[in-house]
Amino acid sequence: MALPIAVVLGFLFAGESEVWAHLADTLLARYAGNSLLLSLLVAVGVISIGVPAAWMISFYRFPGRDLLSWLLLLPLAYPAYILAYTYTGVLDYAGPVLTWMRESNAPDWLMAPILNLKSLPGAALMLSLVLYPYVYLMARAAFLDQSANLMEAAYTLGQTRWSVFRRVVIPMARPAIAAGTLLALMETLADFGTVQFFGVQTFTTGIVRTYYGFGDAVGAAQLSSVLLSFVVVLVVFERLSRYRVRYYSDRLRKLNQASLHISGSRALLAQTLCFLPVCFGFLIPTSLLVYWTAFFAELQSLWAVTLNSFVLAGGSSVLIVAVALMVAYANRLYPSKWLSHLTVLVGLGYALPGVVIAIGVLLPFSAIDHWISDRLQPFGVAPSLYLSGTIFALVFAYVVRFLAVANGNVFSGLSRIRPSLDHSGRLLGLSQMGVLKSIHVPLMRGSVLTAILVCFVDILKELPATIMLRPFNFDTLAVKAYALAGEERLIDAAAPSLLIVLVGLLPVIWLNRSVSKE
Amino acid sequence: MDNAALIIRDVSLTYDKTAVIKNLSMTLKPQELGCLLGPSGCGKSTLLRAIAGFQSLNSGEIWLDDQLLASTTQTMPPEARGVGMVFQDIALFPHLSVAENIEFGLTGWPESSRRARVSELLQLIGLPGLESRYPHELSGGQQQRVALARAMAPKPNLLLLDEPFSGLDTELRSRLASEVRTILKSDGICSLLVTHDQREAFDFADRIAVIHDGHICQFDTPYQLYHEPTSPFVAQFVGPGEMVDAVIVGPRAVDSPLGILTNDTDLEFANGSLVKLFLRPDDLIHDDDSDYHATLVGKHFRGAHHLYEVRLDNGIVLGCFAPSHHNHAIGEKIGVTLDIEHLVVFPTH
Repeated sequence: MALPIAVVLGFLFAGESEVWAHLADTLLARYAGNSLLLSLLVAVGVISIGVPAAWMISFYRFPGRDLLSWLLLLPLAYPAYILAYTYTGVLDYAGPVLTWMRESNAPDWLMAPILNLKSLPGAALMLSLVLYPYVYLMARAAFLDQSANLMEAAYTLGQTRWSVFRRVVIPMARPAIAAGTLLALMETLADFGTVQFFGVQTFTTGIVRTYYGFGDAVGAAQLSSVLLSFVVVLVVFERLSRYRVRYYSDRLRKLNQASLHISGSRALLAQTLCFLPVCFGFLIPTSLLVYWTAFFAELQSLWAVTLNSFVLAGGSSVLIVAVALMVAYANRLYPSKWLSHLTVLVGLGYALPGVVIAIGVLLPFSAIDHWISDRLQPFGVAPSLYLSGTIFALVFAYVVRFLAVANGNVFSGLSRIRPSLDHSGRLLGLSQMGVLKSIHVPLMRGSVLTAILVCFVDILKELPATIMLRPFNFDTLAVKAYALAGEERLIDAAAPSLLIVLVGLLPVIWLNRSVSKE
Repeated sequence: MDNAALIIRDVSLTYDKTAVIKNLSMTLKPQELGCLLGPSGCGKSTLLRAIAGFQSLNSGEIWLDDQLLASTTQTMPPEARGVGMVFQDIALFPHLSVAENIEFGLTGWPESSRRARVSELLQLIGLPGLESRYPHELSGGQQQRVALARAMAPKPNLLLLDEPFSGLDTELRSRLASEVRTILKSDGICSLLVTHDQREAFDFADRIAVIHDGHICQFDTPYQLYHEPTSPFVAQFVGPGEMVDAVIVGPRAVDSPLGILTNDTDLEFANGSLVKLFLRPDDLIHDDDSDYHATLVGKHFRGAHHLYEVRLDNGIVLGCFAPSHHNHAIGEKIGVTLDIEHLVVFPTH
């Protein structure tokens, strides 16, 4: 599993190709600069959308609060690139919005930003609109986790409401907000569809361009290794802030009655703050997608693609969860330091951009293909692709990328089955297999199904790895949407996009259920 | 009302729509250490939260140092009351060091006096040199002492302590209660402790209010509560003891299963009335030389002494203290003798 990571990391220290020298001279700075600027803007975006929303939901009661608290999660169902396609479709020069604005003589300063949507700030906006739920979720959990007594202690020490927020609530939620932001940044660095469509040159587009445009696999791998080191830095910070989240939350009396009822203009402000992200991140684009699909889509051409997608995603996610189960049981039955370190390493896959994994899979696989072809040539067999360019390579990449997702669910499910349950089962006369059958299977069913569902959706959304590794002429929903959008047929891209979003809603709804249960 | 720091007058409170405190009144003198003692759910914590300002009143008034803290129409916000509080779950700010926690409430103090106050308090709680530690690096007892210092730092007019020792183990609990008493006495802060543990209350308080069913049963010194309870509830809540039936046979005499007993003052009951006599284990003591014998039916070794349960000839079982070295077997007949200074007599219902 660690093969692609190892391959890519290997190139961090490999010799320089000619193209790499050129890259380093001219493009590397641009890729790095754009990636960093994009990350910075997304960080500002997700924090300024996610934190106020979490704040309102956690500390105030107002009409519509319960509904908004889960509506705010819905944009998670959107891959950023679909949002980008949708908004471009409705906001382009000949589109309805700008046409209407021109007719009603809207001022230039209002139209200019809309015309310039296809830009780095535009990409940052799209990414922020779908990624803020990470910050919202983490911040909300942190706010709700804070002990009411801590706030009351601050009041008895003479602090006003504002000072309590400034000196207690915000500092204590800071690690959680940081963790949510870092998750959003990992997704930002991994994004390919949005930046590619908006023509922003970042690492991911650079890697694809180097690989296909310059035909330089080594250069692409070296770019990947630089991107990988960016990601590793983020992962380290994310782990650190998670650690702090853990030690800040303890078993104190939780905040319940402390939330303040507000009404009138203050309630309206809270409602607006919470409704705007939902509106722009979900309601508007979904309405557009539904409208376009209903009136313009040729659905029959979509069947084959949908079938491809579902079979591929379904098969892969079952395989991934099977691997995760094996890893989890290996850890449980034969616990060792070595194994748990390996598990952490495998878990890194999720932080890796799909582009990086694709490169990491392509290079060794095509080397193997060459080797096999060379061996078979004397027997008159024409050179062919045995691994790369097959479904196998694609599924392997999915396993590497999404194993961590499955692991998370399976491990937490398994850790809830305390060893004492196994022991009582054995003492009551069950064999090892019997314990597995009558204790573990029923208790694990929920987490396994969840793991499959989450992997399924992630695979459905995954764009760059699929584009780079899919067999020739094998289209999925994401690839189809990407291809149609690339041909500026944005309205035709609506149907596959809508399908991805609708399926993507399932885990969001599940997530909300599990959050509100707590 | 002269010579009173805290005045609670006719206060009623509800918690989750149930009335938990009903027309309760009490006062604390300046520098007095008071205690609200009662079983869990009796409303004592709700009363404390009302004094701190986290709970509104359904009736009555609360005054502190001639200033109205709360009435049904007027509520001073918690931060303006000058009331400090130590919480059951300690509630130290996990993101701040010990020193930063203690000086949290010292907003507006000049830097130098802030620092002086912090080191003075660390000295007082016996933890000098721990300024830069973080709460999770301290033991439970140390954390609780820091929480106390934090609450004392702004020199509050009243300090509230909400079951502050309940998270600690029994030994530490009692020791810390006496320690905190010493610290508060030396600072002269009027304080009110809430607890359900009578030992903790005895270790801490000058006067204890026993709360039951929303009102105060008795507000007295620990000694009086134990030896002169005014109601059966207080008698049985504050330490062990047994009720036995008795009959009044004179102005100062009752006829009981232990014979005729006399009191040092008049009993306020008519001759011949049936009463309940309350006997504590220290009223009946083990004495090998006594002519009166009882059967040992249960024993609890307490280290420094035994608490025996003995059955008298008439079948009544009573508690009885015995010296640690008098180790008798269950079923043995042992000599007992009475050591009663004051009779505790209640009417039969």
